[in-house]
Amino acid sequence: MSKTHVKNNIRAFRFQCDEMTQQQLADQVGVTRQTIVAIEKEKYSPSLEAAFKIAAAFGEPLDAVFRYEP
Amino acid sequence: MDMSFREKSAWGSLIAMGLFAYWFFPAAFDIADNSNDASELFFLSVGCIVGLIIIEVVYQSLVAATGSAESDERDALINLRSERNSGWVLAIGLFWLVGHIVAMSAVEALEPMGGLLIAVWILFTLTVSEFAKLASQVWYYRVDAG
Repeated sequence: MSKTHVKNNIRAFRFQCDEMTQQQLADQVGVTRQTIVAIEKEKYSPSLEAAFKIAAAFGEPLDAVFRYEP
Repeated sequence: MDMSFREKSAWGSLIAMGLFAYWFFPAAFDIADNSNDASELFFLSVGCIVGLIIIEVVYQSLVAATGSAESDERDALINLRSERNSGWVLAIGLFWLVGHIVAMSAVEALEPMGGLLIAVWILFTLTVSEFAKLASQVWYYRVDAG
């Protein structure tokens, strides 16, 4: 799976949230840590539900965390 | 390497399937081509399949015991894509086999295929398609992780 058109600021938001670990985020979202790694590296586009959960974990709206770049 | 449970599971199954094919098919094709002894092929098949099951059960139990056996949406997507690749391999293999059987009955110059040989080719096609599925899973997991 090549790079997706869905870009994100997950790394920055994790940093802002007291260096939240990928495992902590994965536990909150209900996915594996490897999936968070793939999303963060923009190699996998999460489902809408997972994207909302990630944004909610940071207390941010969806479009603050994810954006689409054609 | 940092791997999820599903990826470790795919690696184990891929290696087990490779070992099964390595041991089984040279002997099975030899039996089907030369001795044509159905009971010998049957016992070889049972032995290899039981061996494969034992290896899989032991390996998957060890992997499950060392971490959580959870899966998520990415695992499901990778599984779907891998199943699609496996389906293509299976379809191509079966069409080739059916075409070969039809050609043998249509062209007298071709040597007819025995029932045992056809059975071994069907097993071979099924094994290759399963191998393609597992290899695809490993590939998709590694590409994402890289």
